[in-house]
Amino acid sequence: MSDDITTDASPPGTADEQFAALELSEEERLVLAKVADIVRRINYGTVVLVIQDGKVVQIEMAEKFRLR
Amino acid sequence: MSDVITSRLRPAEAPGEGPPKLAVRDLVKTRRSTSGAVVTAVDHVTFDVRLGEFLCLLGPSGCGKTSILNVLAGLDEPTSGEALLDGRPIAGPGPDRAVLFQEPALFPWLSVAGNVDLALKLTGTPASERPDRIRTWLANVGLEAFADVQPHELSAGMRQRAQLARALATEPEVLLGDEPFGALDAQARELLQDEVQRVWLERGGRKTFVFVTHNVREAALLADRVLVMSAAPGRLLEEVRISAPRPRQLDDVLVARVVSDVHELLMREVERARADGSDRPILPQESDR
Repeated sequence: MSDDITTDASPPGTADEQFAALELSEEERLVLAKVADIVRRINYGTVVLVIQDGKVVQIEMAEKFRLR
Repeated sequence: MSDVITSRLRPAEAPGEGPPKLAVRDLVKTRRSTSGAVVTAVDHVTFDVRLGEFLCLLGPSGCGKTSILNVLAGLDEPTSGEALLDGRPIAGPGPDRAVLFQEPALFPWLSVAGNVDLALKLTGTPASERPDRIRTWLANVGLEAFADVQPHELSAGMRQRAQLARALATEPEVLLGDEPFGALDAQARELLQDEVQRVWLERGGRKTFVFVTHNVREAALLADRVLVMSAAPGRLLEEVRISAPRPRQLDDVLVARVVSDVHELLMREVERARADGSDRPILPQESDR
């Protein structure tokens, strides 16, 4: 997954450099912060970003727990 | 925008808030088969259901999910362990819990409205309030034009809707469903699933729903949380918390993903059980997916 992001969407470089190059808006940073928060909390599962008109309008997630 | 995201994530973000509405503690249920052997249907199962949560118990046929529901409904007693409602052991059926069965148990000699009226009467609703309540709930399930019709004149889907109206008109705190849409054709099932989603949404997290199903799609569509059970004897295998806004559609990316994951898990479980020599008919059907 990370390969796709570095090769297709972002210039190579450190995380800081890539973030600087993207010049994220306040809105975009809020979305990324939310996603980071979710990713930290989930051990197994799926996160789906619903995008309309170029904006993330919804974050959906399914988290799985093995019980046995 | 961040407000929208936050509010829509809430159901699964706060899994442990407040005391549980329902609690199942180390539940074991055994029964004696016709040959006299003791069969374990439910094997040490423990889980909580929060107030306002929509929980689906999912598993292959014969995994004991109906046994668990019957204990929650107070129709059956645990062999060991306990089931609690608001922290108190469940001793029998009560007006705080309504049950939807696969075959709607409507009284054939009463009209649709008469069936709802009887439920209201039995749960102590004053006669002056009953006509309004009946009208409202029949309208909610799209049966207002069928109030005076006898159950046998209705289609299977409409009978199931009548059962839903009767169950919800009494304003139970908990709605228990035992494969409530299992016997319906695909279209009627979808309509009722939409209906249930809408009703649950309108109650805004105050009603607790527990549905038993072997239909993976139904569980992914309806539930905040799906508990996947093993083949007999029934144990909990996996919990899936689904945080996607309602009404959901089967082709929503997340719903489709959950369906495919859980289906795969169940297929593995069925194969494992078969390899173990279990003689139970536990194959999920193609239509279950």
